[in-house]
Amino acid sequence: MSDDHQSCSILSAGEPAATRSAAPMWIIVTTLVLLFLGGIYFDRHSGWFDAKVYAPYASAENLGAYQPQSGPAVFLARGRKNYEAVCGICHGPDGLGKPGQAPALAGSQLVNCKGFDRLIHIPLAGLAGPITVAGQGWNLNMAAMGAALPDDDLAAVLTYIRSSWGNTAGPVAGDDVKKVRAAIGRNPQPLGGAQTMAMPE
Amino acid sequence: MKTGISVFLAAFVALGASWCGFVLAPMLQLGGAKQTVVLQSTDNWPLQRTGDATLGLQIYRAYGCAACHTEQVRQTGAAFEITLNSLGVQKPADFIEFTKSLFVLPELAAYTNAIATGLNDWNGGLPKTLLTSTDKDIVTEMADRLKAVGVKSETRIVATGADIARGWGSRQSVAADYLYDQPVQLGGLRAGPDLANIGVRAPDANWQLAHLYAPKSVTPASTMPSFKFLFEVRPVGATPSPDALNLPKEFAAAAGYEVIPKPEAKQLAAYLLSLKANVPLYEAPFTPVMPPNK
Repeated sequence: MSDDHQSCSILSAGEPAATRSAAPMWIIVTTLVLLFLGGIYFDRHSGWFDAKVYAPYASAENLGAYQPQSGPAVFLARGRKNYEAVCGICHGPDGLGKPGQAPALAGSQLVNCKGFDRLIHIPLAGLAGPITVAGQGWNLNMAAMGAALPDDDLAAVLTYIRSSWGNTAGPVAGDDVKKVRAAIGRNPQPLGGAQTMAMPE
Repeated sequence: MKTGISVFLAAFVALGASWCGFVLAPMLQLGGAKQTVVLQSTDNWPLQRTGDATLGLQIYRAYGCAACHTEQVRQTGAAFEITLNSLGVQKPADFIEFTKSLFVLPELAAYTNAIATGLNDWNGGLPKTLLTSTDKDIVTEMADRLKAVGVKSETRIVATGADIARGWGSRQSVAADYLYDQPVQLGGLRAGPDLANIGVRAPDANWQLAHLYAPKSVTPASTMPSFKFLFEVRPVGATPSPDALNLPKEFAAAAGYEVIPKPEAKQLAAYLLSLKANVPLYEAPFTPVMPPNK
């Protein structure tokens, strides 16, 4: 290549250099509008980074509105919770009881029967003395473990044990517990085993 | 290059921002996830898999099951549903008359047609779904009015969406479901059905094994390839093996032979049976169907 070829106008004007120039106004405005719209979308749909909030729920508040509040399933769940806290320690979370501590509730004729007044009476007043459950004799003392539970909670517990582990008896309502509690009075005495077995259902 | 440092900084900020968005933020949000509890219960969720099922996850991965199956149920919405449990002293005909009288209420007017169509071909069978709505006030209003006339109803929370309608689950999959999956195999293509709840839909180990051995033996329309190499066809010994597959006649081995799953097949089946992401959680609530109370 000859020197003549390099003598074009660019070189004669010197090395080109990048210069600073202001960003066009429309880019700035568009960016700000997009940021604003993005902010609105984020506010409506993000759940504010709450790890518990997934789409389609928009916020923790929206998710909270869809939590179950009532109904038979909730009543049973409440019964199970109380059962496992109060009764399950001796009768077992599986309702099978513990040898020398408590008889099984699963398949027990005291639980799985048509009426429930006698069943309500046991946790409210306690039970002391020999009883027979599913053909096996037990001679133990049970304190009035359910006396401290509110009527609704005890009803939920009894409904739970009457419909779990193969038991198929019907539900117990809070009012039923209230009636029995009123009949027992303020100073409950544990019933003897024979008395309990002789009680009407 | 005079602007080299600016170009480097700009590229660094762009990559750093996407790293913050795609790696750091999810890590801060879900990185500390722990076992949670099933809604309205004291049961933990999820439970650690048994040894066989943990090995099965690696087999699921090795044979590329995730290429055709997903493990993710999607949900597009949630709704409240009123289900009638008992009409009390009312007769079905009286009850239909009663619901018609409710239609004059302005707040229920929008649901008039939906309820009326639902009751037209109703033969009085219970439980009966009366109304589905995303508006909690309407549902509460309706439930109160039903209670006032002695009708027992339950307000249930249901998830909605195409996957739910297909029966692939009662709710969407959430991060907690995958706590013990290593690696998480969400899958990207649904040549086969979603498997997030296959342990609930097909709880029988023999079904799972027969399906791996000869998919058409349990699902005639299946396009799944057979995984016969996970099984051994061998002559029946002095006593038949208790592990031998129970297959329909046209798929069974020749007389005098039995189909025995190799350990790999058993582990894969154990993994499939462990996929039961169908319990209500706080982040994915629904009302489970209770077994009928006799």
